Amino acid sequence: MKEECKKDFERISEYLDGELHDDICREIENHLRHCPECRECVDSLRKSIELSKKAAEEEITPDMRKHLRAALRDCFPSKQS
Amino acid sequence: MKSIASNPTDHHLITEFKAGSMEAMEKIVGRYEDRIFTFGLKMCGHLQDAEDIAQETFLNAFRYLKDFRGETKLKNWLFMIAARACIRKRRKKKCEPDYEISLDSFIHEDGSDGKYEIPDWSDDPSDNVMRAELKRIIDVAIQTLPHKYRLVFNLREIEGFNTKETAEILEISTQSVKTRLHRARLFMREEISKQYMEGRAQ
Repeated sequence: MKEECKKDFERISEYLDGELHDDICREIENHLRHCPECRECVDSLRKSIELSKKAAEEEITPDMRKHLRAALRDCFPSKQS
Repeated sequence: MKSIASNPTDHHLITEFKAGSMEAMEKIVGRYEDRIFTFGLKMCGHLQDAEDIAQETFLNAFRYLKDFRGETKLKNWLFMIAARACIRKRRKKKCEPDYEISLDSFIHEDGSDGKYEIPDWSDDPSDNVMRAELKRIIDVAIQTLPHKYRLVFNLREIEGFNTKETAEILEISTQSVKTRLHRARLFMREEISKQYMEGRAQ
C-alpha cells in the first residue's frame, strides 16, 4: 500500500462521518479521483456501514415487556398509591 | 394524581416520577426499552442476557434517578448504565480477554486492503429471506467483534450516538472512540464479505 493510500486508509471513517477539516477532505477527494483502489475501499466500507445500520433493528418481545414492568413494580411498590 | 400530557419531555417525566408517579415510570420505560434491549442483545448475543441488561438498567436508573441532575440527556444516562451492566456481565462470565485489532491486519499479502463483496440491503419488502439472511450475517459479525470495539460500534453505528456522546457514555477519549470505530468497521467489512461469499458458495 502506497504511503498516500495508507494515510487515507487510516482516516476513511472520520472522512465518512464528516469529522475532518475541509482542507483534509479536499486532499482525500483529490486522491480518490486518481486512485481506484482507495475508491473501492471507501465504497465497500460505506456499504458495510449502511448495511450494519439497517439490518440491526430489534424490538423487545411482549413477554420481556411484561417481565420488565413486573420487576419494576416489585422494586417500587410504595409509589403505586 | 393528574394524568401526564400526551407527549411530555423526559425532564417532565422525571419530575413526575420523583413525585411518585408510576405512570411516568412506565412512560420512560416505554420510550427507551426497545433501544436498551437492542443494545443488550447486540452486546451479549442472547435474549436472556439482553433481558437481564434491560432489567438491570431500568432498575438502577429508577433507583438513582433522584441523583440525576440532567447535565446529560436521559437517553445517554440510561446507555451509560446499560454499558456498565454489559461490562459487569462479561466479567462475571469470565470471558476471554479482549484483543486489539491492528490496522495492519487489514493489509493483505499483495499490499492492498483486499476485495470485498458487500451486499445491498434490499428495499424490496417481499424479499424477507434476503433480509433475514443479511440480518443474520450482521448479527454474527457483531458478535465476533472484540468486546471493547463492540461497545463503541453498537453505540455509534446502531444507536446513532455521536463521537463525543459515545466517549462520555464509555468514559473514554474521543480519539479512542474514533480509533475503535474505524477498526471495528474494517473488521465488520471483512466479516460481512466473508460470510456473504461463504453463504453464496453453499
